[in-house]
Amino acid sequence: MSIATHRARRGDLALLWHQVRYEQLSFWRNPQSAFFTFLFPVVIITVFGALLGGGTQSSYFYGLSALQYYVPTIAAVSVLGSCYSQLAIVLAIRRQHGILKRVRATPLPAWTYFLGLLAHCVMVSVVDVALITGIGRLYGVPLPTHWAAIAVTLVLGAASFCALGVAVASLIRNSEAAPPVVQLILFPLVFISGTYMPIHSAMLNRISGMLPVRPFNQALLGPFAQHTGFDGKSLGVLFAWGAVGALVAVRRFRWTPRPQ
Amino acid sequence: MRAEVKAAAAADEAGAAAPSAVVVAGLRKSYGPAEAVRGVSFTVAPGEIFALVGPNGAGKTTTLEILEGFRARDAGRVEVLGIDPGDRAAGRALRERIGLVLQDIAVEPYLTVRETVARNAGYYPAPRDVGEVIGLAGLGGQARQKVKNLSGGQKRRLDLALGLIGNPELLFLDEPTTGFDPNARRDAWETVRGLRGAGTTILLTTHYLEEAQVLADRMAVIAGGQIVAEGTPSAIGGRDSARTRIRFALPGGCGLADLPAELADLAADAAAGGGLVTVQTGEPTRTLHQLTGWALRRGAALGRLTVDQPSLEDVYLRLTEQRAPETGRAPETGKERSPR
Repeated sequence: MSIATHRARRGDLALLWHQVRYEQLSFWRNPQSAFFTFLFPVVIITVFGALLGGGTQSSYFYGLSALQYYVPTIAAVSVLGSCYSQLAIVLAIRRQHGILKRVRATPLPAWTYFLGLLAHCVMVSVVDVALITGIGRLYGVPLPTHWAAIAVTLVLGAASFCALGVAVASLIRNSEAAPPVVQLILFPLVFISGTYMPIHSAMLNRISGMLPVRPFNQALLGPFAQHTGFDGKSLGVLFAWGAVGALVAVRRFRWTPRPQ
Repeated sequence: MRAEVKAAAAADEAGAAAPSAVVVAGLRKSYGPAEAVRGVSFTVAPGEIFALVGPNGAGKTTTLEILEGFRARDAGRVEVLGIDPGDRAAGRALRERIGLVLQDIAVEPYLTVRETVARNAGYYPAPRDVGEVIGLAGLGGQARQKVKNLSGGQKRRLDLALGLIGNPELLFLDEPTTGFDPNARRDAWETVRGLRGAGTTILLTTHYLEEAQVLADRMAVIAGGQIVAEGTPSAIGGRDSARTRIRFALPGGCGLADLPAELADLAADAAAGGGLVTVQTGEPTRTLHQLTGWALRRGAALGRLTVDQPSLEDVYLRLTEQRAPETGRAPETGKERSPR
């Protein structure tokens, strides 16, 4: 060891950036991830905008116009897609094909690999959210004012959903099962969390408020449309879920494929 | 750089012989009730090509994966370049100095060959030149192709490139030419010999005996989770001191009883296989002289006459058949949770 450490290693940040660049390259070259992960929410908000227009404010949307409501919730679902779904599926596939084993065979530290994935997912999320916000603007949705709260919520949400994605990838046994399992968990969760329609059931909201998706929606809805800043309670729930995900990921993540 | 490292390592040993690149002593590993590796010991000297040869399920890959740090061992001592591969804290330092060419692995399908090699180059403190390594692996013409468009053999060569890019002191090759056509295999052998010539230590597993014979400085035969023989390919299993085998077809109208007495004695325990008489002798010159003298005196020809030593294959089959695993087949890749 004493010998090897004399050779100059590149700095941690330089290595991280190197890793993020190649993650980006792999992501954008893959038509499936580029379309379904990245473009899908953009298409959704465009369609919603065309259907609902700027619209008038209504109590159904908590005193907001329909699109004012949907810009933050679709932004949230885009983060779910590029962090949770994408990571869980990609990692399950990479493990099954031995791509992760190949990574493990190099000196790249595990934390750099995962931090690289996280940074990559945050970048994709930021671009996605910016596009969705921009399209909302075209339909007359005013730009949000609390950018700092949005930025913090976005990074915390992306990190938490990345951790949950890695956790699910750790629990999935084979790559064929990954997409259905990921969607099976996500779909009802998104539905009861008010992403595609506001939920006015107090009991349902209490339940979904303890699960990760609704707090993320709420934490974005405030600074996006309701001129409130940080939503401490929601961010707390989100953080707790991220911690649970990280714990499962650290304890259960495997690099090597399951033998056939 | 490499020379300095080696000099430093040698200095550490205070003038003693160069330390072994790999030390394995009493290595054991079980998957549930199945013992895959049962007390394996061997050493690999710096700069040599060492081949671990054995049938499927013999414990080759398990042994190699323990050395590479992919699996935890149950018992025994293991050192790779002086580092315990089971020590996670030293994992990065070890991986900077070794190269791995593994089975059942893959790389990102949407990157090009050049991008893939350049990415991995960035993981090492002193990588080789990306273009040079791509050329060395025989992928010069495919550098700009996406990995998903490569053939199976080209993917294996990319794997070799990834094993070499870090400029390793020690290279692990796990069945490096499985699935290669004969030409590609010969090219790969040439590349491996070139690496040894440049000072790289190589530990390879193979089930092609020819590969071990052609490449290895030393080899060990593993069967049923144990090393059953170790030595140079030409001497392993007593091959060099084995009795010479003379085979021939008896001239028409002759029986074994017509042979000179001394020859008939030697041939007494010889089986007539494929119509050939086999004579085993510790004195081939004398025995052959008697045999051909006898044939000339009778004015007869000895058809299909051959004189040879036992082939590596003969030795291998004898060694591996004796030690077939008693407790059923140990899985080559186990079902246990990965240690990492």
